[in-house]
Amino acid sequence: MTATAITSDTKSHEELVDEKIVKFYLITALIFLTTSMLAGILVALQMIRHNPFAGIELFSPGRWRMVHTNAVAYGFLANGFLGCLHWAIPRLTLQPVANKKLSWFIFAAWQVVVGATAIGILLGEAQGLEWGETPVWIDPLAQVGLLLVAINFMTPIARMKGPMYVSLWYFLAAFVWTFLTYAMGNFIPEYFVSGTSAGAVGGLFIHDLVGLFVTPLGWGLMYYFVPILLKRPIWSHGLSLVGFWGLAFFYPLQGIHHFLYTPIPLFLQYGAIVSTIAVELVVTTVIINFFGSIWGNAGVVRTNLPIRWFYTGMIYYFLTCLQCAFQVTLTFQKVIHFTDWVVGHAHMVMFGVFSMWIMGMMTYLFPRLLGRNWASRSLCEWHYWLSTLGLFVMAADLILLGLFQGWSWAALEPWDASVDFSFPFWVLRVIAGLAMFGGLLAFLTNIWLTFRAAPVTAPVKSGGLLPT
Amino acid sequence: MADPTCESTGVVSTHKDRSIAWTVTIAFGVVILIPCLMGFIVKFGELVALTKDPADGGFAITPVINYLLASAGFFFLLLWAALNGMFRDLERPKYLMLENERELDAHG
Ligand code: HEM
Repeated sequence: MTATAITSDTKSHEELVDEKIVKFYLITALIFLTTSMLAGILVALQMIRHNPFAGIELFSPGRWRMVHTNAVAYGFLANGFLGCLHWAIPRLTLQPVANKKLSWFIFAAWQVVVGATAIGILLGEAQGLEWGETPVWIDPLAQVGLLLVAINFMTPIARMKGPMYVSLWYFLAAFVWTFLTYAMGNFIPEYFVSGTSAGAVGGLFIHDLVGLFVTPLGWGLMYYFVPILLKRPIWSHGLSLVGFWGLAFFYPLQGIHHFLYTPIPLFLQYGAIVSTIAVELVVTTVIINFFGSIWGNAGVVRTNLPIRWFYTGMIYYFLTCLQCAFQVTLTFQKVIHFTDWVVGHAHMVMFGVFSMWIMGMMTYLFPRLLGRNWASRSLCEWHYWLSTLGLFVMAADLILLGLFQGWSWAALEPWDASVDFSFPFWVLRVIAGLAMFGGLLAFLTNIWLTFRAAPVTAPVKSGGLLPT
Repeated sequence: MADPTCESTGVVSTHKDRSIAWTVTIAFGVVILIPCLMGFIVKFGELVALTKDPADGGFAITPVINYLLASAGFFFLLLWAALNGMFRDLERPKYLMLENERELDAHG
Protein backbone atom coordinates (compact mmCIF):
# COMPACT_ATOMS: atom_id res chain seq x y z
CA MET A 1 0.00 0.00 0.00
CA THR A 2 1.42 3.39 -0.92
CA ALA A 3 0.74 6.58 0.93
CA THR A 4 -0.96 9.53 -0.75
CA ALA A 5 1.53 11.42 -2.91
CA ILE A 6 1.24 14.21 -5.45
CA THR A 7 0.41 13.06 -8.98
CA SER A 8 -0.69 14.91 -12.08
CA ASP A 9 -4.32 14.57 -10.89
CA THR A 10 -3.64 16.23 -7.56
CA LYS A 11 -5.54 19.45 -7.01
CA SER A 12 -3.65 22.72 -6.57
CA HIS A 13 -3.51 24.62 -3.30
CA GLU A 14 -6.27 26.96 -4.53
CA GLU A 15 -8.56 24.03 -5.26
CA LEU A 16 -7.78 22.34 -1.97
CA VAL A 17 -7.83 25.20 0.52
CA ASP A 18 -10.61 27.74 0.84
CA GLU A 19 -8.40 30.60 2.02
CA LYS A 20 -11.37 32.87 2.61
CA ILE A 21 -12.83 30.63 5.29
CA VAL A 22 -9.45 30.28 6.98
CA LYS A 23 -9.23 34.08 7.09
CA PHE A 24 -12.77 34.42 8.46
CA TYR A 25 -12.14 31.84 11.18
CA LEU A 26 -8.91 33.47 12.29
CA ILE A 27 -10.37 36.97 12.39
CA THR A 28 -13.41 35.76 14.30
CA ALA A 29 -11.12 33.96 16.72
CA LEU A 30 -9.32 37.23 17.40
CA ILE A 31 -12.60 39.09 17.95
CA PHE A 32 -13.58 36.52 20.59
CA LEU A 33 -10.13 36.64 22.17
CA THR A 34 -10.44 40.41 22.51
CA THR A 35 -13.85 40.02 24.15
CA SER A 36 -12.57 37.28 26.44
CA MET A 37 -9.48 39.18 27.51
CA LEU A 38 -11.54 42.29 28.27
CA ALA A 39 -13.83 40.09 30.36
CA GLY A 40 -10.76 38.62 32.13
CA ILE A 41 -9.48 42.09 32.92
CA LEU A 42 -12.91 43.03 34.28
CA VAL A 43 -12.97 40.00 36.60
CA ALA A 44 -9.39 40.69 37.67
CA LEU A 45 -10.38 44.29 38.48
CA GLN A 46 -13.29 43.02 40.55
CA MET A 47 -10.84 40.96 42.64
CA ILE A 48 -8.96 44.14 43.52
CA ARG A 49 -12.26 45.92 44.23
CA HIS A 50 -12.06 48.22 41.23
CA ASN A 51 -14.93 46.90 39.16
CA PRO A 52 -15.86 49.80 36.87
CA PHE A 53 -19.34 48.35 36.38
CA ALA A 54 -20.18 47.59 40.00
CA GLY A 55 -23.92 47.43 40.59
CA ILE A 56 -24.89 46.76 36.94
CA GLU A 57 -26.41 43.28 36.83
CA LEU A 58 -25.61 42.71 33.16
CA PHE A 59 -21.94 43.32 33.86
CA SER A 60 -21.73 41.40 37.11
CA PRO A 61 -18.34 39.68 37.48
CA GLY A 62 -19.85 36.22 37.90
CA ARG A 63 -21.32 36.49 34.42
CA TRP A 64 -18.20 38.02 32.89
CA ARG A 65 -16.05 35.27 34.32
CA MET A 66 -18.14 32.77 32.38
CA VAL A 67 -17.94 34.91 29.24
CA HIS A 68 -14.16 34.99 29.75
CA THR A 69 -13.67 31.23 29.88
CA ASN A 70 -16.44 30.29 27.45
CA ALA A 71 -15.49 32.79 24.74
CA VAL A 72 -11.86 31.77 25.00
CA ALA A 73 -12.60 28.07 24.63
CA TYR A 74 -15.30 28.06 21.97
CA GLY A 75 -14.80 31.48 20.41
CA PHE A 76 -11.03 31.77 20.30
CA LEU A 77 -9.49 28.29 20.57
CA ALA A 78 -12.18 26.48 18.57
CA ASN A 79 -12.34 29.09 15.81
CA GLY A 80 -8.55 29.35 15.69
CA PHE A 81 -8.19 25.58 15.40
CA LEU A 82 -10.97 25.26 12.82
CA GLY A 83 -9.34 27.93 10.66
CA CYS A 84 -5.95 26.21 10.82
CA LEU A 85 -7.56 22.81 10.15
CA HIS A 86 -9.13 24.19 6.97
CA TRP A 87 -5.57 24.90 5.87
CA ALA A 88 -3.77 21.82 7.18
CA ILE A 89 -6.16 18.92 6.47
CA PRO A 90 -6.64 19.53 2.73
CA ARG A 91 -2.89 20.05 2.28
CA LEU A 92 -2.02 16.94 4.27
CA THR A 93 -4.56 14.70 2.59
CA LEU A 94 -4.43 16.36 -0.85
CA GLN A 95 -8.24 16.26 -0.69
CA PRO A 96 -10.61 19.18 -0.16
CA VAL A 97 -13.04 19.05 2.77
CA ALA A 98 -16.24 17.07 2.18
CA ASN A 99 -18.23 20.12 1.17
CA LYS A 100 -17.14 23.75 1.03
CA LYS A 101 -20.71 25.02 1.43
CA LEU A 102 -21.03 22.89 4.53
CA SER A 103 -17.86 24.58 5.84
CA TRP A 104 -19.52 27.98 5.54
CA PHE A 105 -22.69 26.70 7.15
CA ILE A 106 -20.67 25.34 10.08
CA PHE A 107 -18.78 28.61 10.33
CA ALA A 108 -22.00 30.65 10.56
CA ALA A 109 -23.71 28.17 12.90
CA TRP A 110 -20.69 28.08 15.22
CA GLN A 111 -20.63 31.87 15.55
CA VAL A 112 -24.34 31.80 16.37
CA VAL A 113 -23.63 29.19 19.07
CA VAL A 114 -20.76 31.14 20.66
CA GLY A 115 -22.41 34.55 20.28
CA ALA A 116 -25.74 33.31 21.66
CA THR A 117 -23.86 31.70 24.55
CA ALA A 118 -22.22 35.00 25.48
CA ILE A 119 -25.56 36.82 25.31
CA GLY A 120 -27.30 33.99 27.19
CA ILE A 121 -24.69 34.13 29.95
CA LEU A 122 -24.97 37.90 30.29
CA LEU A 123 -28.75 37.58 30.53
CA GLY A 124 -28.38 35.01 33.31
CA GLU A 125 -29.22 31.93 31.25
CA ALA A 126 -26.02 29.97 31.90
CA GLN A 127 -26.00 26.22 32.42
CA GLY A 128 -24.38 25.41 35.77
CA LEU A 129 -21.35 23.63 34.35
CA GLU A 130 -17.90 25.18 34.05
CA TRP A 131 -16.87 25.46 30.37
CA GLY A 132 -20.32 24.12 29.53
CA GLU A 133 -22.15 27.35 30.38
CA THR A 134 -23.74 27.30 26.93
CA PRO A 135 -27.48 27.67 27.73
CA VAL A 136 -29.28 24.33 27.53
CA TRP A 137 -31.33 25.37 24.51
CA ILE A 138 -28.14 25.87 22.46
CA ASP A 139 -26.53 22.53 23.39
CA PRO A 140 -28.31 20.42 20.74
CA LEU A 141 -27.27 22.90 18.03
CA ALA A 142 -23.65 22.82 19.22
CA GLN A 143 -23.76 19.02 19.24
CA VAL A 144 -25.02 18.89 15.64
CA GLY A 145 -22.34 21.45 14.72
CA LEU A 146 -19.63 19.17 16.13
CA LEU A 147 -21.03 16.23 14.18
CA LEU A 148 -20.92 18.24 10.95
CA VAL A 149 -17.34 19.35 11.69
CA ALA A 150 -16.39 15.69 12.09
CA ILE A 151 -18.06 14.68 8.83
CA ASN A 152 -16.57 17.58 6.88
CA PHE A 153 -12.99 16.90 7.99
CA MET A 154 -13.05 13.13 8.37
CA THR A 155 -14.16 12.62 4.77
CA PRO A 156 -10.87 13.82 3.20
CA ILE A 157 -8.91 11.84 5.78
CA ALA A 158 -10.92 8.69 5.02
CA ARG A 159 -10.28 9.16 1.30
CA MET A 160 -6.53 9.04 1.85
CA LYS A 161 -4.60 5.91 1.01
CA GLY A 162 -1.81 4.31 2.97
CA PRO A 163 -0.09 5.06 6.29
CA MET A 164 -1.28 8.28 7.83
CA TYR A 165 0.90 11.10 9.03
CA VAL A 166 0.68 11.54 12.81
CA SER A 167 -1.26 14.84 12.60
CA LEU A 168 -4.15 13.03 10.95
CA TRP A 169 -4.31 10.46 13.74
CA TYR A 170 -4.61 13.30 16.24
CA PHE A 171 -7.28 15.07 14.19
CA LEU A 172 -9.38 11.95 13.69
CA ALA A 173 -9.33 11.21 17.39
CA ALA A 174 -10.09 14.82 18.31
CA PHE A 175 -13.24 14.91 16.18
CA VAL A 176 -14.61 11.78 17.83
CA TRP A 177 -13.52 12.72 21.35
CA THR A 178 -14.82 16.29 21.20
CA PHE A 179 -18.23 15.11 20.05
CA LEU A 180 -18.44 12.54 22.85
CA THR A 181 -17.00 14.84 25.51
CA TYR A 182 -19.43 17.63 24.69
CA ALA A 183 -22.36 15.22 24.89
CA MET A 184 -21.14 13.75 28.16
CA GLY A 185 -20.66 17.10 29.90
CA ASN A 186 -23.69 18.93 28.62
CA PHE A 187 -26.38 16.28 28.70
CA ILE A 188 -25.53 13.69 31.38
CA PRO A 189 -25.45 16.04 34.41
CA GLU A 190 -28.37 18.06 33.05
CA TYR A 191 -30.77 15.20 32.41
CA PHE A 192 -29.50 11.89 33.78
CA VAL A 193 -27.47 12.15 36.99
CA SER A 194 -27.39 14.57 39.90
CA GLY A 195 -25.46 15.35 43.08
CA THR A 196 -21.87 14.20 43.43
CA SER A 197 -22.11 12.03 40.33
CA ALA A 198 -23.04 15.10 38.28
CA GLY A 199 -20.11 16.94 39.88
CA ALA A 200 -17.79 14.12 38.90
CA VAL A 201 -19.02 14.14 35.29
CA GLY A 202 -18.61 17.93 35.23
CA GLY A 203 -14.99 17.65 36.37
CA LEU A 204 -14.31 14.93 33.85
CA PHE A 205 -15.83 17.17 31.17
CA ILE A 206 -13.40 20.06 31.81
CA HIS A 207 -10.52 17.64 32.04
CA ASP A 208 -11.42 15.92 28.78
CA LEU A 209 -12.03 19.19 26.94
CA VAL A 210 -8.41 20.07 27.61
CA GLY A 211 -7.02 16.62 26.92
CA LEU A 212 -9.25 15.31 24.20
CA PHE A 213 -10.27 18.43 22.28
CA VAL A 214 -7.58 21.10 22.69
CA THR A 215 -4.53 18.85 23.14
CA PRO A 216 -4.91 16.56 20.10
CA LEU A 217 -5.79 19.46 17.80
CA GLY A 218 -2.89 21.49 19.16
CA TRP A 219 -0.30 18.74 18.82
CA GLY A 220 -1.70 17.59 15.48
CA LEU A 221 -1.22 21.10 14.12
CA MET A 222 2.27 21.36 15.63
CA TYR A 223 3.29 18.13 13.90
CA TYR A 224 2.18 19.81 10.67
CA PHE A 225 3.45 23.37 11.04
CA VAL A 226 6.79 22.77 12.77
CA PRO A 227 8.31 20.52 10.05
CA ILE A 228 7.12 22.72 7.20
CA LEU A 229 8.61 25.81 8.83
CA LEU A 230 11.84 24.10 9.84
CA LYS A 231 11.93 22.50 6.41
CA ARG A 232 12.97 19.21 7.94
CA PRO A 233 10.90 16.23 9.05
CA ILE A 234 9.91 15.51 12.60
CA TRP A 235 12.74 13.68 14.37
CA SER A 236 10.94 10.36 14.77
CA HIS A 237 7.54 9.58 13.30
CA GLY A 238 7.50 6.32 15.27
CA LEU A 239 7.93 8.19 18.54
CA SER A 240 5.19 10.61 17.57
CA LEU A 241 2.82 7.65 17.22
CA VAL A 242 3.83 6.46 20.68
CA GLY A 243 2.72 9.89 21.89
CA PHE A 244 -0.60 9.64 20.11
CA TRP A 245 -1.50 6.12 21.26
CA GLY A 246 -0.23 6.89 24.74
CA LEU A 247 -2.66 9.81 24.94
CA ALA A 248 -5.48 7.66 23.57
CA PHE A 249 -5.06 4.92 26.14
CA PHE A 250 -3.89 6.72 29.26
CA TYR A 251 -5.69 10.05 29.12
CA PRO A 252 -9.29 8.86 29.65
CA LEU A 253 -8.22 7.08 32.86
CA GLN A 254 -7.01 10.25 34.50
CA GLY A 255 -10.24 12.16 35.09
CA ILE A 256 -10.48 11.13 38.71
CA HIS A 257 -7.26 13.01 39.52
CA HIS A 258 -9.55 16.06 39.92
CA PHE A 259 -11.31 14.23 42.74
CA LEU A 260 -8.50 13.23 45.04
CA TYR A 261 -9.65 13.06 48.67
CA THR A 262 -13.30 12.62 47.65
CA PRO A 263 -15.45 9.58 48.57
CA ILE A 264 -14.52 7.91 45.26
CA PRO A 265 -12.75 4.59 46.08
CA LEU A 266 -9.06 5.16 46.70
CA PHE A 267 -7.89 2.53 44.22
CA LEU A 268 -9.59 4.57 41.48
CA GLN A 269 -7.84 7.70 42.70
CA TYR A 270 -4.52 5.83 42.69
CA GLY A 271 -5.31 4.46 39.22
CA ALA A 272 -5.79 8.02 38.01
CA ILE A 273 -2.51 9.05 39.61
CA VAL A 274 -0.59 6.23 37.96
CA SER A 275 -2.06 6.93 34.55
CA THR A 276 -1.34 10.63 34.98
CA ILE A 277 2.31 9.78 35.58
CA ALA A 278 2.17 7.57 32.49
CA VAL A 279 0.86 10.51 30.48
CA GLU A 280 3.73 12.65 31.81
CA LEU A 281 6.12 10.15 30.27
CA VAL A 282 4.18 10.14 27.03
CA VAL A 283 4.35 13.95 27.03
CA THR A 284 8.10 13.75 27.52
CA THR A 285 8.43 11.61 24.39
CA VAL A 286 6.54 14.28 22.44
CA ILE A 287 8.72 17.09 23.79
CA ILE A 288 11.90 15.12 23.05
CA ASN A 289 10.66 14.54 19.52
CA PHE A 290 10.13 18.24 18.86
CA PHE A 291 13.40 19.29 20.43
CA GLY A 292 15.11 16.51 18.48
CA SER A 293 13.64 18.05 15.34
CA ILE A 294 15.10 21.50 15.96
CA TRP A 295 18.40 20.14 17.32
CA GLY A 296 21.39 21.83 15.68
CA ASN A 297 19.19 24.56 14.22
CA ALA A 298 17.86 26.23 17.37
CA GLY A 299 19.10 29.66 16.26
CA VAL A 300 16.11 29.77 13.96
CA VAL A 301 13.94 30.91 16.88
CA ARG A 302 15.61 34.30 16.68
CA THR A 303 14.46 34.98 13.16
CA ASN A 304 11.48 32.75 12.57
CA LEU A 305 8.67 34.10 14.75
CA PRO A 306 6.11 31.32 14.24
CA ILE A 307 8.75 28.78 15.29
CA ARG A 308 9.54 30.92 18.32
CA TRP A 309 5.85 30.96 19.33
CA PHE A 310 5.63 27.19 18.84
CA TYR A 311 8.67 26.32 20.90
CA THR A 312 7.81 28.80 23.65
CA GLY A 313 4.43 27.07 23.84
CA MET A 314 6.19 23.72 24.08
CA ILE A 315 8.34 24.92 26.96
CA TYR A 316 5.21 26.10 28.74
CA TYR A 317 3.62 22.76 27.91
CA PHE A 318 6.46 20.92 29.52
CA LEU A 319 6.22 23.18 32.58
CA THR A 320 2.48 22.64 32.95
CA CYS A 321 2.91 18.90 32.65
CA LEU A 322 5.69 18.98 35.19
CA GLN A 323 3.29 20.86 37.45
CA CYS A 324 0.70 18.15 36.82
CA ALA A 325 3.14 15.51 38.00
CA PHE A 326 3.28 17.29 41.35
CA GLN A 327 -0.37 18.32 41.44
CA VAL A 328 -1.49 14.75 41.07
CA THR A 329 0.12 13.67 44.33
CA LEU A 330 -2.06 13.64 47.42
CA THR A 331 0.57 15.54 49.38
CA PHE A 332 0.50 18.43 46.94
CA GLN A 333 -3.28 18.40 46.54
CA LYS A 334 -3.63 19.05 50.25
CA VAL A 335 -2.00 22.45 49.74
CA ILE A 336 -3.06 23.68 46.33
CA HIS A 337 -6.68 22.57 45.93
CA PHE A 338 -9.06 25.56 45.55
CA THR A 339 -6.17 28.05 45.54
CA ASP A 340 -4.95 30.45 42.86
CA TRP A 341 -2.30 27.89 41.93
CA VAL A 342 -4.97 26.24 39.79
CA VAL A 343 -5.85 29.51 38.07
CA GLY A 344 -2.13 30.08 37.34
CA HIS A 345 -1.91 26.55 35.95
CA ALA A 346 -5.02 27.10 33.78
CA HIS A 347 -3.58 30.27 32.22
CA MET A 348 -0.22 28.67 31.66
CA VAL A 349 -1.76 25.85 29.68
CA MET A 350 -4.54 27.70 27.88
CA PHE A 351 -2.62 30.85 27.03
CA GLY A 352 0.99 29.75 27.40
CA VAL A 353 0.55 26.67 25.25
CA PHE A 354 -2.48 26.58 23.00
CA SER A 355 -2.96 30.30 22.45
CA MET A 356 0.76 30.65 21.74
CA TRP A 357 0.52 27.93 19.12
CA ILE A 358 -2.49 29.59 17.53
CA MET A 359 -0.63 32.92 17.55
CA GLY A 360 2.33 31.25 15.85
CA MET A 361 0.08 29.70 13.22
CA MET A 362 -1.62 33.05 12.68
CA THR A 363 1.75 34.79 12.37
CA TYR A 364 2.60 32.29 9.63
CA LEU A 365 -0.79 32.24 7.90
CA PHE A 366 -1.91 35.88 7.83
CA PRO A 367 0.76 37.06 5.36
CA ARG A 368 -0.08 34.15 3.07
CA LEU A 369 -3.81 34.73 3.39
CA LEU A 370 -3.52 38.47 2.84
CA GLY A 371 -0.87 38.15 0.13
CA ARG A 372 1.29 40.70 1.92
CA ASN A 373 4.36 40.64 4.12
CA TRP A 374 3.84 41.69 7.72
CA ALA A 375 3.68 45.49 7.80
CA SER A 376 5.80 45.72 10.94
CA ARG A 377 8.31 43.25 12.27
CA SER A 378 8.61 45.19 15.50
CA LEU A 379 4.86 44.93 16.18
CA CYS A 380 5.25 41.17 15.74
CA GLU A 381 8.05 41.27 18.29
CA TRP A 382 5.96 43.37 20.72
CA HIS A 383 3.13 40.89 20.36
CA TYR A 384 5.41 38.02 21.22
CA TRP A 385 7.27 39.61 24.11
CA LEU A 386 4.28 41.23 25.81
CA SER A 387 2.36 37.95 25.61
CA THR A 388 5.23 35.77 26.75
CA LEU A 389 6.42 37.93 29.61
CA GLY A 390 2.89 38.94 30.64
CA LEU A 391 1.90 35.30 30.86
CA PHE A 392 5.08 34.38 32.69
CA VAL A 393 4.45 37.04 35.34
CA MET A 394 0.76 36.14 35.64
CA ALA A 395 1.42 32.41 36.00
CA ALA A 396 4.35 32.79 38.41
CA ASP A 397 2.36 35.29 40.48
CA LEU A 398 -0.71 33.07 40.82
CA ILE A 399 1.22 29.85 41.34
CA LEU A 400 3.20 31.38 44.17
CA LEU A 401 0.09 32.96 45.63
CA GLY A 402 -1.61 29.56 45.53
CA LEU A 403 1.09 28.10 47.75
CA PHE A 404 0.76 30.95 50.25
CA GLN A 405 -3.02 30.58 50.31
CA GLY A 406 -2.80 26.81 50.77
CA TRP A 407 -0.34 27.06 53.63
CA SER A 408 -2.36 29.81 55.25
CA TRP A 409 -5.55 27.72 55.14
CA ALA A 410 -3.68 24.64 56.34
CA ALA A 411 -2.47 26.67 59.33
CA LEU A 412 -6.14 27.50 60.01
CA GLU A 413 -5.53 31.21 59.68
CA PRO A 414 -8.72 33.22 59.12
CA TRP A 415 -9.96 33.32 55.54
CA ASP A 416 -9.81 37.16 55.54
CA ALA A 417 -6.08 37.04 56.18
CA SER A 418 -5.56 35.08 52.96
CA VAL A 419 -7.70 37.58 51.02
CA ASP A 420 -5.64 40.45 52.43
CA PHE A 421 -2.26 39.04 51.49
CA SER A 422 -3.59 37.97 48.07
CA PHE A 423 -4.38 41.56 47.18
CA PRO A 424 -0.93 42.66 45.86
CA PHE A 425 -0.70 39.43 43.86
CA TRP A 426 -4.06 40.18 42.28
CA VAL A 427 -2.90 43.71 41.43
CA LEU A 428 0.11 42.17 39.67
CA ARG A 429 -2.26 39.89 37.76
CA VAL A 430 -4.07 42.96 36.41
CA ILE A 431 -0.76 44.47 35.26
CA ALA A 432 0.32 41.21 33.62
CA GLY A 433 -3.12 40.87 31.99
CA LEU A 434 -2.87 44.38 30.60
CA ALA A 435 0.53 43.50 29.13
CA MET A 436 -0.95 40.42 27.45
CA PHE A 437 -3.82 42.50 26.16
CA GLY A 438 -1.30 45.09 24.90
CA GLY A 439 0.38 42.28 22.94
CA LEU A 440 -2.93 41.41 21.35
CA LEU A 441 -3.55 45.05 20.41
CA ALA A 442 -0.11 45.17 18.75
CA PHE A 443 -1.08 42.10 16.73
CA LEU A 444 -4.45 43.51 15.70
CA THR A 445 -2.80 46.79 14.65
CA ASN A 446 -0.25 44.86 12.63
CA ILE A 447 -2.95 42.86 10.87
CA TRP A 448 -4.78 46.07 10.01
CA LEU A 449 -1.59 47.76 8.71
CA THR A 450 -0.72 44.65 6.71
CA PHE A 451 -4.20 44.53 5.24
CA ARG A 452 -3.85 48.18 4.17
CA ALA A 453 -0.39 47.66 2.61
CA ALA A 454 0.18 46.95 -1.06
CA PRO A 455 0.05 43.24 -1.97
CA VAL A 456 3.29 41.52 -2.94
CA THR A 457 3.61 39.85 -6.32
CA ALA A 458 5.94 37.00 -5.32
CA PRO A 459 4.46 34.28 -3.08
CA VAL A 460 4.82 35.11 0.60
CA LYS A 461 7.09 32.61 2.34
CA SER A 462 8.53 31.94 5.81
CA GLY A 463 5.81 33.69 7.70
CA GLY A 464 6.09 36.83 5.60
CA LEU A 465 8.41 38.45 8.08
CA LEU A 466 10.43 41.41 6.97
CA PRO A 467 14.07 41.44 8.08
CA THR A 468 14.72 43.21 11.36
CA MET B 1 19.34 3.79 4.67
CA ALA B 2 19.32 7.37 3.42
CA ASP B 3 15.98 8.50 2.06
CA PRO B 4 16.09 10.67 -1.07
CA THR B 5 13.49 13.13 0.26
CA CYS B 6 15.42 13.26 3.44
CA GLU B 7 18.54 14.39 1.63
CA SER B 8 16.70 17.12 -0.16
CA THR B 9 15.63 18.59 3.19
CA GLY B 10 19.26 18.69 4.28
CA VAL B 11 18.81 16.06 6.98
CA VAL B 12 20.55 12.75 6.56
CA SER B 13 19.07 9.91 8.54
CA THR B 14 21.92 7.54 9.34
CA HIS B 15 21.88 4.06 10.75
CA LYS B 16 23.18 5.52 14.02
CA ASP B 17 20.30 8.03 14.18
CA ARG B 18 17.85 5.22 13.70
CA SER B 19 19.34 3.06 16.38
CA ILE B 20 19.34 6.01 18.83
CA ALA B 21 15.70 6.62 17.98
CA TRP B 22 14.93 2.95 18.64
CA THR B 23 16.84 2.90 21.91
CA VAL B 24 15.00 6.00 23.15
CA THR B 25 11.67 4.57 22.04
CA ILE B 26 12.24 1.24 23.76
CA ALA B 27 13.63 2.87 26.90
CA PHE B 28 10.54 5.08 27.16
CA GLY B 29 8.29 2.13 26.45
CA VAL B 30 9.84 0.21 29.34
CA VAL B 31 9.81 3.21 31.69
CA ILE B 32 6.12 3.77 30.94
CA LEU B 33 5.06 0.16 31.11
CA ILE B 34 6.75 -0.98 34.31
CA PRO B 35 5.14 1.48 36.78
CA CYS B 36 1.81 1.11 35.02
CA LEU B 37 1.94 -2.64 35.19
CA MET B 38 2.86 -2.62 38.86
CA GLY B 39 0.15 -0.11 39.70
CA PHE B 40 -2.32 -2.06 37.65
CA ILE B 41 -1.70 -5.42 39.31
CA VAL B 42 -1.94 -4.06 42.85
CA LYS B 43 -5.02 -1.96 42.18
CA PHE B 44 -6.68 -4.70 40.18
CA GLY B 45 -6.48 -6.95 43.23
CA GLU B 46 -8.14 -4.25 45.34
CA LEU B 47 -10.79 -3.70 42.71
CA VAL B 48 -11.71 -7.38 42.59
CA ALA B 49 -12.02 -7.37 46.36
CA LEU B 50 -14.20 -4.28 46.33
CA THR B 51 -16.58 -5.45 43.63
CA LYS B 52 -17.70 -8.19 46.00
CA ASP B 53 -19.00 -5.54 48.38
CA PRO B 54 -22.79 -5.29 47.84
CA ALA B 55 -22.88 -1.56 48.73
CA ASP B 56 -19.86 -0.18 46.88
CA GLY B 57 -19.30 -2.83 44.21
CA GLY B 58 -21.44 -1.22 41.49
CA PHE B 59 -20.10 2.25 42.23
CA ALA B 60 -16.53 0.99 41.93
CA ILE B 61 -17.00 -0.89 38.72
CA THR B 62 -18.93 1.78 36.77
CA PRO B 63 -15.97 4.04 35.90
CA VAL B 64 -13.87 1.03 34.98
CA ILE B 65 -16.52 -0.17 32.55
CA ASN B 66 -16.79 3.33 31.12
CA TYR B 67 -13.07 3.39 30.54
CA LEU B 68 -13.03 -0.04 28.96
CA LEU B 69 -15.82 0.95 26.58
CA ALA B 70 -13.99 4.14 25.62
CA SER B 71 -10.71 2.33 25.12
CA ALA B 72 -12.18 -0.65 23.30
CA GLY B 73 -12.80 1.56 20.27
CA PHE B 74 -9.20 2.67 20.27
CA PHE B 75 -7.97 -0.85 20.79
CA PHE B 76 -9.83 -2.01 17.69
CA LEU B 77 -8.64 1.03 15.76
CA LEU B 78 -5.08 0.16 16.72
CA LEU B 79 -5.59 -3.44 15.56
CA TRP B 80 -7.19 -2.27 12.32
CA ALA B 81 -4.36 0.18 11.68
CA ALA B 82 -1.70 -2.45 12.33
CA LEU B 83 -3.44 -5.01 10.09
CA ASN B 84 -3.74 -2.43 7.32
CA GLY B 85 -0.05 -1.70 7.24
CA MET B 86 -0.32 1.73 8.85
CA PHE B 87 2.81 1.08 10.88
CA ARG B 88 4.82 -0.73 8.22
CA ASP B 89 7.02 1.99 6.78
CA LEU B 90 6.87 4.02 9.95
CA GLU B 91 9.02 6.98 8.95
CA ARG B 92 7.83 7.34 5.36
CA PRO B 93 4.80 9.65 6.04
CA LYS B 94 7.01 12.36 7.54
CA TYR B 95 9.07 12.65 4.34
CA LEU B 96 6.09 12.39 2.06
CA MET B 97 4.26 15.15 3.92
CA LEU B 98 7.19 17.54 3.42
CA GLU B 99 7.57 16.55 -0.20
CA ASN B 100 3.86 17.23 -0.83
CA GLU B 101 4.12 20.59 0.90
CA ARG B 102 6.99 21.62 -1.34
CA GLU B 103 5.14 20.52 -4.45
CA LEU B 104 1.97 22.31 -3.43
CA ASP B 105 3.88 25.54 -2.84
CA ALA B 106 5.85 25.19 -6.04
CA HIS B 107 2.70 24.77 -8.15
CA GLY B 108 0.26 26.75 -6.02
C1 HEM C 1 -6.03 39.77 29.77
C2 HEM C 1 -5.59 38.64 30.22
C3 HEM C 1 -6.35 37.82 31.22
C4 HEM C 1 -6.79 38.14 32.48
C5 HEM C 1 -6.60 39.46 33.20
C6 HEM C 1 -7.46 36.99 33.03
C7 HEM C 1 -8.06 36.92 34.28
C8 HEM C 1 -8.76 35.84 34.77
C9 HEM C 1 -9.48 35.82 36.01
C10 HEM C 1 -9.56 36.99 37.00
C11 HEM C 1 -10.03 34.60 36.16
C12 HEM C 1 -10.90 34.10 37.34
C13 HEM C 1 -10.04 33.51 38.39
C14 HEM C 1 -10.83 33.09 39.61
O1 HEM C 1 -11.99 32.69 39.50
O2 HEM C 1 -10.26 33.15 40.72
C15 HEM C 1 -9.65 33.82 35.02
C16 HEM C 1 -10.00 32.49 34.82
C17 HEM C 1 -9.60 31.76 33.71
N1 HEM C 1 -8.96 32.24 32.58
FE1 HEM C 1 -8.21 34.13 32.32
N2 HEM C 1 -7.40 35.98 32.10
C18 HEM C 1 -6.75 36.45 30.98
C19 HEM C 1 -6.52 35.77 29.81
C20 HEM C 1 -6.88 34.45 29.58
C21 HEM C 1 -6.64 33.73 28.37
C22 HEM C 1 -6.03 34.33 27.11
C23 HEM C 1 -7.09 32.46 28.57
C24 HEM C 1 -7.07 31.28 27.64
C25 HEM C 1 -6.52 31.23 26.49
C26 HEM C 1 -7.62 32.38 29.91
C27 HEM C 1 -8.15 31.25 30.48
C28 HEM C 1 -8.75 31.20 31.72
C29 HEM C 1 -9.28 29.99 32.32
C30 HEM C 1 -9.27 28.59 31.69
C31 HEM C 1 -9.80 30.34 33.56
C32 HEM C 1 -10.49 29.42 34.59
C33 HEM C 1 -9.47 29.06 35.63
C34 HEM C 1 -10.00 28.14 36.71
O3 HEM C 1 -11.22 27.99 36.86
O4 HEM C 1 -9.19 27.56 37.44
N3 HEM C 1 -7.49 33.62 30.49
N4 HEM C 1 -8.90 34.62 34.17
